Amino acid sequence: MTIRSLRILPPLAIARLGSSPEPLENYDVRVPPGDPLGFREIHGAETLVVDRRRGTISRSYTPKAIHFKDRRRRVKPVAPFLEVWADVNGSLVPLTTSLLEKNKLSIDDVEWRAQVGNHKAFRRTGETDDRIDADTGWFRGHGLHRLAGRCPNFIDGKSIPFGDVQFIRPGRKFPGLRLRFTPAKGLIYGAVDLHRLDDVADVVYDSRRGSWSGYSDDNAVPPLSVTNPGWIYANIGDGRTTSRGYLDDECDGIVEVRIIAGRKTRLQAFARIGAGPPDFAPDSFPVRTIADELEQALLGPDVASSDVSPEWTEEIIRRAFETVRLQNTVALNGNPINGAVANSMASQDSDLGRAETPIMAPAIVDSVALQALHQSVFAALRSESAVWFGQVLRRYDQVGDLTDAGRRKMPAMMRGSDGLHLALTRRQHNAVIGSGNRQATAKDAEAVTFTAPTTPKGEEPR
Amino acid sequence: MTTKVRPKNETARAGVPLAVRAMEGEWAPDRINTGALHEQLSYRAAGNPPGTLPTTAISNCFPGLELDFRNVWKKLFVGIEMHESDNLVVGTDPDPEEIRKLRYHRLVAVSIPGAEGAVVQPLVINVRGPNPRGKETDLGLQALEWSNAFAYLVAAGGQRVTCAFSPRQAFDPVSPDAPTISVTLLVRSFFEPGSAVIARDLVEPGQLTQSLCSPWQNDYRECACYYWAASRPDFVNVEAAPGGTSTGDNWMQVRGSQAGPYLPDGFGGPGLLTYEDMFRRWETELRFEIAGRDTE
Repeated sequence: MTIRSLRILPPLAIARLGSSPEPLENYDVRVPPGDPLGFREIHGAETLVVDRRRGTISRSYTPKAIHFKDRRRRVKPVAPFLEVWADVNGSLVPLTTSLLEKNKLSIDDVEWRAQVGNHKAFRRTGETDDRIDADTGWFRGHGLHRLAGRCPNFIDGKSIPFGDVQFIRPGRKFPGLRLRFTPAKGLIYGAVDLHRLDDVADVVYDSRRGSWSGYSDDNAVPPLSVTNPGWIYANIGDGRTTSRGYLDDECDGIVEVRIIAGRKTRLQAFARIGAGPPDFAPDSFPVRTIADELEQALLGPDVASSDVSPEWTEEIIRRAFETVRLQNTVALNGNPINGAVANSMASQDSDLGRAETPIMAPAIVDSVALQALHQSVFAALRSESAVWFGQVLRRYDQVGDLTDAGRRKMPAMMRGSDGLHLALTRRQHNAVIGSGNRQATAKDAEAVTFTAPTTPKGEEPR
Repeated sequence: MTTKVRPKNETARAGVPLAVRAMEGEWAPDRINTGALHEQLSYRAAGNPPGTLPTTAISNCFPGLELDFRNVWKKLFVGIEMHESDNLVVGTDPDPEEIRKLRYHRLVAVSIPGAEGAVVQPLVINVRGPNPRGKETDLGLQALEWSNAFAYLVAAGGQRVTCAFSPRQAFDPVSPDAPTISVTLLVRSFFEPGSAVIARDLVEPGQLTQSLCSPWQNDYRECACYYWAASRPDFVNVEAAPGGTSTGDNWMQVRGSQAGPYLPDGFGGPGLLTYEDMFRRWETELRFEIAGRDTE
């Protein structure tokens, strides 16, 4: 039972902002039985209630219903737990006080540290004194440790609260070692000169020290060093996009654990955390996610034939469907509504010099019609008759194909990280192709998507 | 092209993706093989709702919602720092001189080692489509997103690879066919050794969110685009309309007593939530959407 090393799981935990004192309860999301493209069902799951004063899990329960806001309509923050696991004989198991004792260690030997930052102003101004950082330093025990974001360009004594971390005291029912990260409230902080009082929770930024308030991407040197998209910060609307100097309480960073024995660090591990806005459609999921990026980095873009599965392909289609279901595809197609074309890939393409035309035939892109199309594709995949499906997918190196056929490939009407039309990760793409949907039977994506696919050669009806 | 041999991930081979099984509450192991990094990546800790998982965080980051994942690639090469969304070198180590001089050069291609020899991965593509007169034409050059462009390079972590740069500073895009200079650079490991956590020296605290909007509430109003509808919805409270089409609300629309008509988002406008609404009242103004309908 010798502990060889530690891990913190999950390796990346997403927290979500909210000002309610009640963290969001735990729940599962399940595809409804018999309705593979129905809205996923949300079911309450075992929720751990933390006594923040004592640092213990006071009880657990399974909620009957999940409410994402409290009675005062405040959003409940998503506050993840991060667990310590121990490598014992080639297997990771939850690290408990009992396992510590078997290794002649105790809970008092365990130390934690959290370091998070918000470098949004720094990313624009390039001034290192615009970095907002919080560091708890190494700590023991089970008290709350505030993540106070401090910055050299703040007014003396001011900080932005990024939430807190707490080492939860292991108990009989929950003997594992874990830390909870509770994110901030989702507040906005301002600079001394350009804020509007009702916008901000506090005035923290000293405009005499730093240039964030009054900054403009127009003046970036060199111009291409700005973020992409650029000019994305609260501004005074003066035509130069002059920054108001607003800051938020999002952050990302690292949580570390170490076990000290005889004044030496014997074991250590870290994980990453981030705090962002709520997921406002919690029963729907994006078609391409950070998990897909990490999986591709971990396992590579190639998919072994033994790893492909119809269920994986179905999940990709399901996620595309879940996105389409919440989009006004008429607007996103570039169809004029009330005489105007909405911001969409159709209009973005025209910024590149392309003719401004709708992506799909304007008459067929109503949300209901496109949902039906995805349902047809899904059904065809299930019946293994969609061997043509791989042909409608946009390859990663086809994102610059703005021909009519190129723009109609899938995922359609969405923007990728380069600002061009979205492609799946290469691993996702290969998963779809590998699941048997690789046979070309149509001239182009348009034909495949909006007409009946051609019967594969050699499979014509007799 | 092949990748390095990876630890076997037994449970990843079950039909339903592991992340889905974790969200459904059907995969909650009490023991994980130390080398099974995919399992570790997909693990949902006790008490954590699905929204804590990376599988609920969007990655078509332009710039993103929870994190701007593009930042993870900026320091993939030791000695240089790339722009998160462009093939421009924005920072370099002071020495050696060969590396210091690369600032504001463009990384045009990288030679990725493989079992069957090195393969050149272009990092720039030509954008092509019809011009306003309908004639198909070149519309310019564009750097590929790093995540897919570097998909095979990650396996070369810890190795030196040959990179092709523009021979001089280039603030305009550079064709992949233009002359280049070759510089050998060391590729950082993407993950900490033996773990599924993004390596410490790849991204520092604050860097994964640094290129998001400040404040994020501003982007919810300003973007007027709906590429993240599964997290930040667009079309909600949808009902069937006469003629078989649909009607509903824009998520950013001030709600009336009846669904729709949908108000197109012209970067704000009458009937849509304002910057002030987002800054001062986002928690009460923005709705959660369950089964596509407003829910508190």
